[in-house]
Amino acid sequence: MNQPLPNLKRGQAGIIAGIDAAQPTAKRLADLGFVSGIRITMVRPGKPCIVRIDGRFVGLGASCQQIIRVVPN
Amino acid sequence: MTSLCSLPVARKNAVVALAGNPNTGKSTLFNALTGFRQRVGNYPGVTVEKKTGLLEHEGDGPRIEIIDLPGAYSLSATSADEAIVLDVLLGHKEGIAPPDLIVVVLDASNLSRNLFFASQLLEIGRPVVAALNMVDLAEAAGISIDAAVLSQGIGCKVVPVVATRQVGVTQLKQAIRDCLDTPASNRCPSFPECVCAELDGLNQSVRSNGAPATHPPRVQLLQTLLTPGGYHEQAMIRRCGRGLADELARRRHRIQEAGESIIEVEARIRYAWIDRVLDQAVTRTAPARRNRTEIADRWLTHRLFGLLIFLLAMGICFQSIYAWAAPVMNFIDGAFAMLGGALTAVMPAGALRSLAVDGVVAGVGAVLTFLPQILVLFLFLAILEDCGYMARAALLLDRWMGLLGLNGKSFIPLLSSFACAVPGIMATRTIEDRRDRLVTMLVAPLMSCSARLPVYVLLIGAFVPSVPLLGGLLDLRAATLLAMYAIGAGVAIPVAWLLKRTVLRGTPQPFLIELPTYKWPSPSTVLHRMYEQGRAFCTSAGTIIVAVAVVVWALGYYPHPASIAEEHDARRQAIVAAGAPEPGLSQQLDEIDRSEAGAYLRQSFLGRMGRWIEPLVTPLGWDWRIGTAAIASFPAREVVIATMGTIYNLGGDQDAASVSLREKLRSATWPDGRPVFNLAVALSLMVFFALCCQCGGTLAVIKRETRSWGWPLLTFTYMTALAYVGALATYQIAGRVM
Ligand SMILES: Nc1nc2c(ncn2[C@@H]2O[C@H](COP(=O)(O)OP(=O)(O)OP(=O)(O)O)[C@@H](O)[C@H]2O)c(=O)[nH]1
Ligand SMILES: [Mg+2]
Repeated sequence: MNQPLPNLKRGQAGIIAGIDAAQPTAKRLADLGFVSGIRITMVRPGKPCIVRIDGRFVGLGASCQQIIRVVPN
Repeated sequence: MTSLCSLPVARKNAVVALAGNPNTGKSTLFNALTGFRQRVGNYPGVTVEKKTGLLEHEGDGPRIEIIDLPGAYSLSATSADEAIVLDVLLGHKEGIAPPDLIVVVLDASNLSRNLFFASQLLEIGRPVVAALNMVDLAEAAGISIDAAVLSQGIGCKVVPVVATRQVGVTQLKQAIRDCLDTPASNRCPSFPECVCAELDGLNQSVRSNGAPATHPPRVQLLQTLLTPGGYHEQAMIRRCGRGLADELARRRHRIQEAGESIIEVEARIRYAWIDRVLDQAVTRTAPARRNRTEIADRWLTHRLFGLLIFLLAMGICFQSIYAWAAPVMNFIDGAFAMLGGALTAVMPAGALRSLAVDGVVAGVGAVLTFLPQILVLFLFLAILEDCGYMARAALLLDRWMGLLGLNGKSFIPLLSSFACAVPGIMATRTIEDRRDRLVTMLVAPLMSCSARLPVYVLLIGAFVPSVPLLGGLLDLRAATLLAMYAIGAGVAIPVAWLLKRTVLRGTPQPFLIELPTYKWPSPSTVLHRMYEQGRAFCTSAGTIIVAVAVVVWALGYYPHPASIAEEHDARRQAIVAAGAPEPGLSQQLDEIDRSEAGAYLRQSFLGRMGRWIEPLVTPLGWDWRIGTAAIASFPAREVVIATMGTIYNLGGDQDAASVSLREKLRSATWPDGRPVFNLAVALSLMVFFALCCQCGGTLAVIKRETRSWGWPLLTFTYMTALAYVGALATYQIAGRVM
């Protein structure tokens, strides 16, 4: 079910279920395309991790990862 | 709408702004449009300040000014950098008219995210032209875009371009001129009813405040409403008073009641609109293949190998600074020594010859010798920047930056500071958090900039023996150089740590960075970067360094009392009269020459000042000449080499001009005949330079960025104190060990 992003394993994909709006970076993440329903792939887990979203690569630090919730495929 | 301000026929001047996401080629396009050479690089945040130029075009027509802006992801503005972009685009900057047209630069290989910002820009209400850049990359990736359909979909003209190869630039210029008076037609997505209602309400209450000319466009009100704690919210509260904060809270609450997410609604609506547009305009001619970037990143961002590769790259860089630059350096050195010798031979003895030989040639020559090192350093930095590696380095080092309480974003400004702290400090604008930004700014000058390189190279070449280490992989000299770079970076750790726990306390900020795709560095960009830095270095050698060299020469030459000449002439005559046999005779005469030169220097203004500060620098192992040179280089540290060149030339014997500065340092002595320099002294001097804030430019830029004198003052004080203590410790320890 709905889990925090860091639970994804290397190469595993998921669908974004939501972003924790209480965080100040939430709007920035959303504007960058991290919105509900979008497919996200964990390319390199860790802190920071690399994810692929919409064909591009984004590096996310620990606190950014925690506020993204996903439903793993 | 805002098109009221355009007068179709009589237009004389127009302002056009280039806006778009970071790293989409805005600066490359700016250069293509204006014939300028703006700095480009393949990582987000290369341009940190807006630049303007004139559109190059044939025939008549309005004079069009082009503005190159830093990249932004969204109008919501979460960093200082993005706030600048907005101020320019919305015409909030004092004294700068809002642009008459916005060129939104789109990365064709990454359209969806690019169109998010574009759709916001289209809502400002100004005429917009879209430059669809990097179509070469898109085609290579199997993406084909129909510009006409895209143009239909988004409601403004779309011109495909390849900025790096100047493809489509003429068409873009034409489109800019054609569209100056046609506001974008509104094809933009509509928001849910609950958001629109609150937006209308907000518009009403903001309208009742402030002059009508400054009414914010609807898209700015949207950001005010949907970005809690953002830049727009703060600006609007400043304008309308505290009451607005409560109003915003109420309105947001109502939107949430209606079942919308404040944070996500804008992205959801816009991305849905983008998907619809792209669905018609884009066809994939080939399936997306597993790209090289992902494979390369498997190694380059590997937790262990990635770091090793990073260290290896740095090691190679420093090793080649030695290996490649040394022969050229010796050549330049020799050429200036010969020039000095030739001038000595042809010019009559006196103040003028001394000024030319001891002041200008010795000073400037000493500095220019280091041009090859600077070029090699920038060759490496430019390659790393242009291929897209920098963003990975930031990612890799995020963890380590975390130890300082900073995040990986601070790494790129710090790395640029290895070239020069001034652009490094400006690059801190991409850091969202104010405290993190300040900490980064305050430690940036500790990174060994290229102006320190000459000091290291000179002293290492003269006093550190060449010993192969690690089975010949690294030389002791290169290792010492690496150590000097490590000292600055190493000291930055406790300093940042301390700052984060005292004056600038705060929690670590979230780290979020886009990783651009790798590409081959473009030779022209790399060469241009080297050329630019080389030119800047030579210009400073030709201006400030000549000026300081002349001042130092004058202080070291005058008052030049006649009594010294008389006294020494008397001694010369006495020896000649005594009729000693040959080799001894000329030796004695040389001895007298040296003592005469030394006496002049001691009697000079510089010599007197030097003796005054001598007690301060003796514990560091320095003689007064080193102390004077160090003090003279507080305005700009690259001056030190010229100053030492001048001082040691003045104090040397008559034909000293033909001996390189390195030799002169080796043969310099204390009055009792002990050599001034040894390894311990050289190390102490290098440590001093590594840690000291000898750069007026850095302090000025910190003042400008922080708008206060306090921060530059703090930087100067802590660095100078650290430098003194560091040099003292180095000399005392090294002196004992060796
Ligand atoms: N292949 C290709 N590369 C391009 C093109 N235009 C720009 N580039 C490259 O893209 C990179 C970024 O270019 P810049 O001009 O610095 O981008 P920018 O938008 O000014 O970036 P910021 O100032 O960081 O926002 C550079 O490495 C350019 O050489 C293009 O049309 N095709
Ligand atoms: Mg740029």
